[in-house]
Order: sequence, then structure tokens, then C-alpha cells
Amino acid sequence: MRISRIIGSAMLALVVFQACEKNDAPVVVATLTEKTVSGIPADTIVGLVNGQPVGAGKFTFFSFETNAVVPSTDSNSVKWDVAVRGTTIITNGGNSGPGVGGAFVYVGTFDDVKAVPKDSVFRQDNAPVTYAVPNSSNKGWYVYSPVSMLITPVPGRVLVFKTAKGKYAKVEILNYYKGGVTPSATASDAEKLKNQRYYSFRFAYQADGTMNFK
Amino acid sequence: MRIFFQFLFLLMTTVAFAQRGGDSSQTNLDEVVVTATRTPRSMGNIAIPVAVISSKTLYQSGSLRLHDILAEQTGIQVIDNFGKGIQVQGLSSEYTLILIDGEPLIGRTAGVLDLSKITVKNIRKIEIVKGPSSSLYGSEAMGGVINIITDRAGQNKTDLGLRYGRFNSVDGNLNFSRRLNKTDLAASLNYNQSKGYSLKPNAVQKTVEPFRRSTQNLSIHQQLGSYWKAGASFRANASQIDNTIFVQNLGTTIASKGFEKNNEYNFTPYLQFNKEQKIKSILRGYLTGFNAVQQLAVKNATGGYDDRFRQLFARVENQTDWQITENAAFTSGAGIVRETVRSNRYDTASTLRTNSIGYFFVQHEQKFSSKLTWISGLRFDANLAYASVWSPKIAFQYKPSGKLKLNVSYGRGFKAPDFRQLYLNFTNLAAGAYSVFGSEVAVNELKRLSAAQLLDQTTALVGNLSALKPEVSGGLNAGIVYTLGAKSQFTANVFRNDLKNMIVTDIIAFKKNGGQIYSYFNLKRALTQGVELGAQQKIGEWIQLNAGYQFLYTADKEVLQSIKKGEVFQRSLTNGQAYRMSLSDYGGLPNRSRHTANLKFNAENAKGYFSTIRFIYRSRWGTSDLDGNGLINRSDEYAKGYVQVNASVGLPLASHWKCMAGIDNLFNYKDIPFLPGNPGRTGYIDIQFIF
Repeated sequence: MRISRIIGSAMLALVVFQACEKNDAPVVVATLTEKTVSGIPADTIVGLVNGQPVGAGKFTFFSFETNAVVPSTDSNSVKWDVAVRGTTIITNGGNSGPGVGGAFVYVGTFDDVKAVPKDSVFRQDNAPVTYAVPNSSNKGWYVYSPVSMLITPVPGRVLVFKTAKGKYAKVEILNYYKGGVTPSATASDAEKLKNQRYYSFRFAYQADGTMNFK
Repeated sequence: MRIFFQFLFLLMTTVAFAQRGGDSSQTNLDEVVVTATRTPRSMGNIAIPVAVISSKTLYQSGSLRLHDILAEQTGIQVIDNFGKGIQVQGLSSEYTLILIDGEPLIGRTAGVLDLSKITVKNIRKIEIVKGPSSSLYGSEAMGGVINIITDRAGQNKTDLGLRYGRFNSVDGNLNFSRRLNKTDLAASLNYNQSKGYSLKPNAVQKTVEPFRRSTQNLSIHQQLGSYWKAGASFRANASQIDNTIFVQNLGTTIASKGFEKNNEYNFTPYLQFNKEQKIKSILRGYLTGFNAVQQLAVKNATGGYDDRFRQLFARVENQTDWQITENAAFTSGAGIVRETVRSNRYDTASTLRTNSIGYFFVQHEQKFSSKLTWISGLRFDANLAYASVWSPKIAFQYKPSGKLKLNVSYGRGFKAPDFRQLYLNFTNLAAGAYSVFGSEVAVNELKRLSAAQLLDQTTALVGNLSALKPEVSGGLNAGIVYTLGAKSQFTANVFRNDLKNMIVTDIIAFKKNGGQIYSYFNLKRALTQGVELGAQQKIGEWIQLNAGYQFLYTADKEVLQSIKKGEVFQRSLTNGQAYRMSLSDYGGLPNRSRHTANLKFNAENAKGYFSTIRFIYRSRWGTSDLDGNGLINRSDEYAKGYVQVNASVGLPLASHWKCMAGIDNLFNYKDIPFLPGNPGRTGYIDIQFIF
């Protein structure tokens, strides 16, 4: 037992040694991606129905792996991890998609989430009743002010995702308005409506399948 | 009724033959004040922070309405929200009691008593007591008590005043006071109007709409033999505001037109027995009514808005003061109150909501030596509609020398739940179909919605629905008064108020249509603390200098705990990322300025010429949350601090004529979103005829 372990270690050392010889430096595969994304439209307002603002009713799909928007024709695949429509956020899992995705809301800063806690429970979508990321004011990621009629991401809320393929990502939503700038509280209704439903967020995606974000 | 009184006043003035009376009431330590102990005491002998504003100060400051003069006092902020409310020791308007000649004013909107409805043209002086005084006055006397003392009857004096100012604002005033044998009379009449103003250029809707207000006072006092006296005061107050409201709703403008009318009356009969200053007993009745109507009709459409609110407050009270020995005084009192409200905010405008209160209070004042005085008091209020409450108070005064006085007092204050918190039944159909139910009606309303299959789910808070308790505070004040000759005086006072059972709204259930249902709970705890400093200095023969400063710290105690636990976050203005909030980032309760100060110069000669210049400073104050944590913390969540400068000059014209003119807000400071009640530079001229 002990002997086999020693042999194993020696062989491993040999492999590493040889690898070093070839490249002059150890290969560290960067498996963690950290990006800031802005201007992701989320069913932007197209008009009024019975006086209420409405969009076209379409989700925008996004992949953490490729850091890109996924065409909606791929909505029934595991190519996307998260999708947004207004304040609703869905994950590729549960009844929202064919993947194994889920999410939960962590209370703390983005940097606090150094790893997904071992005992974490990833919630799954059961649309339209419940979502992995709760979709109501001050319950999930945002707060709506009936006075200013503005939507603001609650500071200290990190959305921890299990992706469609079972990897992990964390997200901090930074803003809900075009250009990442919330209109002033005294801006006109038209201004507030025209510019809303554009997500700015930062995320970290761990490609190696571990729960670490370091 | 009103026409009758106006006619009566005109008649009186035409037949009146009166002499010119002296009116000087300098603020000094010998000044007799009544509010702090409900008994006449000289200011220098009171262990509780008291300030007095004299009629001379009122006149020279060019004040028209109560908020004008209070805005210039140290430690008092005027806050524009549902009218002009005040903040005392960091406690908001709903926790401050406003009295006229010792009787409470009613007619609050969302807890705020609008001070602009009170004219100061017939006021002899204003007494301001800071810290809790519920031991004497009951509900609302938490942050402070402001007692407006109207002109004395029987002065054989008549004055007639007219003032004109910017925005077509007119104030006409007639005061009449006369002694006829053993009868003292006083009457006054005030009319005030303005055409309002727009702060935003090209705005279709005015910031302040045109209004007209009138006030009438009448009081009669009759000496009955050597011990007995009887009398009555009557006051009526009416205001009408034009409403032309434009609402932008998703590109379409909805115009509505209408009015807002407020009518108020107060009637105070009394019978007094007073025997050689040994025993004094007064039986007083008080009846006051407040009636508000707002009606709006939508232009080119059906529908509109109709709000009706009628409040009635009736009270009978006896207060008896005994001077037991030279060094001991005892006061006791008891009374009953009946309050009713009818409003379509609660049910239909005809449903009557009532509350009855029975109370008693005692106060004992003991002088242990020429240096040490102790006052203790206790009041008990038993209510039908909510829990009963005890309010104790103790105060000490120690005078180590003639120059120095040390005062310490501790008292409990309370504020009863109001009718809105008990009985509101409001559903907003326009914005998200949310509802707010008062604590007394919430359970029944939930049952009704549930039976109608409209209720989705209830929250854990439903189990906490119970009879509301009064909001209570404990207030500590410790101060010194240092007098240097006749020319200088310095004061300092440290205060701390701990509030608990504060009433907040929270969600009790959700409707199937997604609407939230709110009710009221005794949940919040808060604190306000600070230091108030004052200095008075006479410079030369003519110039008087007054300076004041208040440092104020306020906080929601639950928030403080969460910050200490690291559970509160804020979002950076520069990179938009969230980070943990520290205690020093927390801006406390909204609408509070940490630093406020004033500096007032007053020059006056013996002939009656005067000039004043007053600098009023207020540091930044929190307005609203912008980064989603519901708190005041980020620099863009504050309104800018500012200095307002007011100036006035006065000159005696002829033997019976006085004239003054002034400019408020000399440097035209404006803040359109956060100071809508400030129209910028405003000039006025005021002429008085006295005979």
C-alpha cells in the first residue's frame, strides 16, 4: 500500500518534471473566468397594453461558459445557463430548461463567496409559481420603489448558479438600466420605461467543475 | 357664524377708544413660563430645557405663520411633508405636541400637524419645551411641546396690520384687547393669501397652489368676586387651497381640478378658583373639531377623488395647584377625553370611530435649599382603543452660584396609535392593487378577502396582529446655563431619546392578483441624541447677538445591530459593486441634519428703529435610498446643506404708525426637488396702525 503510493508519487513527479522540461514553466490552466457584462436586454418595453408597459415576452439567454448571449433557437438545449425577461431570472433546469441548473441567493458580497458552501441547496425553477431566484421586490435580487418607480439591485445579494452542465458560477447584478445608469428619481416615466430591462452584472465562472471561485 | 364675528370685530374697532399699550417681552431668566410645569414659574427656576420667543422677536423677524419663526430656532427643523411639520431633538412632527393656550391642536395628516395654518400675528409669546413632557400632557409630548400663548385680554389696545409680499401674498390682521369694568376682552382677525408659485419654469402645475386662510379669535374673561373667575375662548380657522393637478401617466396627461378645504374650531370655557396663591383650581372644557375635504374632478373624463375627514376632540379637565409650604408645591389633575373620527379613508364618511381616554397626573416640586430643587411627576392614561400607559418624569436643578445652573431631567413620552393606524381601510387600485388595513380591522378584512377567494397567502406576521401599543420614549436631558452679568449668557444641553414600540407598516398577506396587504406593528426602535449650544451677547448699547448650534445623531437600532453583524451592504457610486457597510457610513433616520446652526444680529435703538440679519444653516440631510438597501448611506442620497439669510428693517413712522420691511432668503437659495416649500428670495412690507 505504502509502496504503491510512493511509486505513484514518483511517477507523478517524473511526469511533472518532464512537462517542465518541455515548456520551461508549469502549465496552469486558468479555469476561473471573471467578467463584467452590460447591456443585456431583458424583454425591453415595446408598447403599452391597457396602459401597462409590455415587452415582446421573450427571454434573453446567456452562457457563462462562452460569456455570450445564446440565440433563442437554442433555448431547448444546454447551451445557455441563465435567461432574463424583465425582473424574472430563470436557470437552465427545473421546468425552465433541459439542463441540471439551479440557483440560490447568497447574502454577502461577491468576494465573500470564495467557494460554494458545501451544504448549499440549489433551488430549481417551477415557473410560473416559484423561481430559483425569487422574483419579487426585496425577496430576491432587486427592490422596487413605488415612489420613484425605479428598480434597484439590492446590494449584498450574490446569485450562485449551477450551470446547465452542472458547473458553478456566481453573479452580482449591478444595474437594471441601459448603460448601467439608473435614471434619476425625478426623470419622466417615459425615460424610466425606455431605459429599463438592461442588465449589467459581473460573474465568475469555474470551468473545472469544482465549487471554488479562487 | 364667521360673518357674524367679522361684523362684531368691525363694530368693536369703530367704537373702541383705546390707549397704546407697551409690548416688550425680553427673553431672560426672570421670564415667567407655564408650559414646562403647567404652573407659572420663572425660567431660571426650571430644570427642563425651555426656550421662549417673544412677540418682539416675532415682529422683528417678519414672521407670519408659526413655521416661519420656528425655522429660525436652535434645534428645530421645519420639514415640508404633508404641510409644514417640525422636528425637535430629531423626533419628527408626529411626536411633537402643539398647544394653543395650553390646549392641543388636532387635524394631523399622516402624523404631521401643518404649522402654516397657525398665524403668529396675535401671539404674545411662544414657549418651547424640549424632551418628553407626557407626564403632564399625555400623548404626542415626546420630542417636545410648543405652546402658543395668544395676546392678553384686557390690554386696552387695538392694532391693525397689513402686509404685502412676493407672490401676491397678503396678510391682514386686526387685534383688539379691552378691559370693561371686570370683564377682559380680546379679539383678533387674520386673513392670509397667496397666489402660489412654480419653481420649475414652464411647469403646468404650481409647486404651491393658490390659497386663502382666515383665523378668528375671541376670548372673554370675567372676574367673579375676589376668588372666582370664568371665561371662554373661541378660535376658528379656515383655509382653502385651489388644486389644479396634472399627472403624467405613460405619456398621457391627466388633468384634474378641485380644491382642498380645512376648517377647524376650538372652544375653551373655564372656571377658576384662586385663593391668595395658596390654592388654585381650574375646571376647563375643550371642544375642537377639524374638518377636511378634498375634491378633484378629472377633466374630460368621469371619476375623480373625494376625501373627507372629520375629527372631533372633547375634553373636560380639572387641575389644582397647592402651594403647601414656601418650599413645596403640589399639582394634580384629571380629565376625560372623547375623540371621534369619520372618514372615507377608513369606511364610509358616515361611520363613526371613537376613542375615550381617562387620565390623571400629579406633580410635586420641592426646594431643598436655595440651591437644589426637585420636581417629580406622573401621569396615567387609560384608553379604550389601545393599551394604557404610565408616564413618569423627574427633574433636578442645582445652582452652585448665581451665575451657574445645572439641570438634569428624565421623562417618558408616548404617542397613542392614531385612527389611521387603528382603522385605515385603504386599497390602491392604481398602483399594484395594494391595501393597507389598520390593526383593528385587519383580521376582519383578511377573513372577508379569504371568503371571497381573493387571498393568496399570509405571511408569518399575521400571527403578530394584535392591539397596538402606544409608541414610547425615554428622554434624558442634562444642561448648564451660565450667565455673565446682564450682557452674556451661554447654554449647553445634552439629550438622548430612546424610542421603542415605534409603529411601522409591514406585509401581512398577498392577494391572488399579486397585491400586497399591509398592516401596522409595534416593531421599530430608534434613538436620537445630540448636543445643543446657545450663546447670547449684547454688543454695545444697540446690538444683540444670538447664536445656536445643534449636533444630532439618529439611528434605527435594528439597523445598527445589523451593521455590527456585517449584514448590511451598500453599492459603490464608482464601480457599482456592493460592499459591506460600516457604522460611519450609516446616515441615520432620513430628513435629519447632523449639524444645524443659526446666527442672528439684532440692532435696535430706543426710538424703535431696528434691523436684523439672521443666518440659518442646515447641513446635508438624507432624502431617499438609491442603492437598494433602504437606508441613507451614499453621498447622492443626501440633499445639499445650505445657509439661508433673512433680513429685516423697521422704522416708526408717526405716533401711531409702524412700518417694517424684509427679505427672506436674501441670496435666493433654492433646491427644487428637496425644498419645494422654499420659493427663493421673498420680499415684503408691513404696516401697522396702533391705537
